[in-house]
Amino acid sequence: MHRRVSSLITDGVMVFAMLLGTCAAASAAMSSAAAPAGLAAVRANCSGCHREVSPGHFDRISEERKTPEGWAMTIFRMRHLHGVKLTGKEQATIIQYLSDVQGLAPSETAPARFALERRPNVPDLKLPYHLHEMCGRCHSLARVALQRRTAAEWLKLINFHVGQFPTLEYQEGSRDIHWWKIATTELPGELAKLFPFESAAWRNWSGHPHPSLAGEWIVHGYTPGRGDYYGTARIRRTARHRYRARYLLHYASGAALDGSSDAIVYTGFEWRGTAKLGGKRVHEVYFASTDGMRITGRWFLTDHSEIGGHWVASRATGAPQIIAAIPSALKTGTTERVVVVGIGLRGSVELGPGTKCKVLERTPYGLILSASVQSNAAPGYRTVRIGQVHGRNLLAVYRRVDRLKVEPSLAIARLGGGTLAPVDAQFHVIGYTDVVGAGGKVIPVRLGAVPVTWSLEPFNAEAARRGDVRFAGTLSQEGRFLPAQGGPDPKRRFSADNTGDLFVVASHRDGKTPITGKAHLIVTVQRWINPPIY
Amino acid sequence: MSGMKPINEKAGLLLEAAESGHLEEVSAMETVAGCATTFDPGWEVDPFGGVASLCQPMEADLYGCSDPCWWPAQVPDTMNTYPSWQEGKPSAQHDWRELDPVFPNTNAVFPKK
Repeated sequence: MHRRVSSLITDGVMVFAMLLGTCAAASAAMSSAAAPAGLAAVRANCSGCHREVSPGHFDRISEERKTPEGWAMTIFRMRHLHGVKLTGKEQATIIQYLSDVQGLAPSETAPARFALERRPNVPDLKLPYHLHEMCGRCHSLARVALQRRTAAEWLKLINFHVGQFPTLEYQEGSRDIHWWKIATTELPGELAKLFPFESAAWRNWSGHPHPSLAGEWIVHGYTPGRGDYYGTARIRRTARHRYRARYLLHYASGAALDGSSDAIVYTGFEWRGTAKLGGKRVHEVYFASTDGMRITGRWFLTDHSEIGGHWVASRATGAPQIIAAIPSALKTGTTERVVVVGIGLRGSVELGPGTKCKVLERTPYGLILSASVQSNAAPGYRTVRIGQVHGRNLLAVYRRVDRLKVEPSLAIARLGGGTLAPVDAQFHVIGYTDVVGAGGKVIPVRLGAVPVTWSLEPFNAEAARRGDVRFAGTLSQEGRFLPAQGGPDPKRRFSADNTGDLFVVASHRDGKTPITGKAHLIVTVQRWINPPIY
Repeated sequence: MSGMKPINEKAGLLLEAAESGHLEEVSAMETVAGCATTFDPGWEVDPFGGVASLCQPMEADLYGCSDPCWWPAQVPDTMNTYPSWQEGKPSAQHDWRELDPVFPNTNAVFPKK
């Protein structure tokens, strides 16, 4: 009898606590002193609505897996729409915990990493066309592909969309099909099959310890508009999920790109850093390879995520290898300084037929050579050999640049002004020389960046008539397009915004005939919703 | 399309695409990840992959987009999600500089420094 009364009192307290919402969760968290901080934070802040159906298993939350950015977007929505109050520390603890216990395995993020890295001007994922109609009309399909849910959870997400954004059923692409029927019958199962909550990849990744990233690293990267950079990184672990890095880097031009970073590692491989690089504040979105031997990704300016650089760090204690030759092409009849970035580069150096070289300096990140190319050397790729290691297609010999490729081939820039920064567009150019191969087939040999001058042209007659070149913005000689001011422009017909449809033209002159390459640039209007996954 | 005559530039472009059999491809064309691919008339790009057929100036119709939640991933909807987004800014044409972005914690996953 005494036990029954006690139980009733306890039940009564629980009912009262549940009525108080998060207080119940706080009570539960306090009663479980052994629970890790992340689980305790979820209990304290989420279980008021998301019932803990069994220890550590929360209604809805526990049927989803997401990237750190995905969980951050969920928490933003909970705060904004449902009034959840969180301190910055509580939010960070929850993102860390959920990313670790319900994250995505490395292989699961691979196809859509471009979205995490906020790479501008890349095409979206190729998925069946009806998924573009159902999901990809408003946001990227990468946002979908970076989540894992049960079929029941996918259905709830669809229901949320209809309730929150009801007009989606009336838009072009929806109104012409049986949107609701497809969304609620076929789609949840299809998404659960494509992006399943349970997966062997996640079981394998989450079931094993992950390598520490502390140590010495050799870095090679590329910044569109600036070129190759290289050097070393020293990473040390400061806490279970935290690292501090020191970078000694510079561009081929000699300009320093030194810096330091503080980073959080989520899910055992997702490196998210806040760094100072070359005097600028940047964020880093990198991933560590499953064996902990490479860290790859993209860094970008904190206030202009469209401007940044590619990053590859290879562990300095790894197997000997040649990573890059800078520059990656040598002209016949010239002598140039060449940096070969690599690991364990010992022994004699050969750059292939028609070349001579000598080692000027040995550095922690590789060798600095003086390389000469005979005037009659045959154009084409060369294999770089240093001691026992070699690198194919890392270096080319050329007589002339035959063609240019401007990247990206299609770019979007956005007008700015007021509370929104403009979104710039950074272009770079790759030169190619044509080599006639077996059977007379012309093989384009990639030379890397070549010097060019940049200009703008109207994309078509309509753009010429509208005066887009004059109104839409300016292009620097580093290939960076800076959009004009947003807002109605009384100088334009109908006071149109300073949008534009343009060709970005790169021109290289070697001798009398200039060679040009073009890319398509659309200068368009602002967007006011800019989450971490576009 | 026989018997129909385009009365403005946009109709002319649509007619041209329809006559050459490219209307579907035009509508389905991809743009870069993150841009809307709903083309009525399109937020970043129009059905022809350009900007000539978009609402111009955009500000003239901006609240006609935010009120009915027409571009839910680009323009804050005042129907459900951001009801006070345009409060105190009655004219988008004049007040567009004051309209705030609605996702303030884009960098929540990075360490604070």
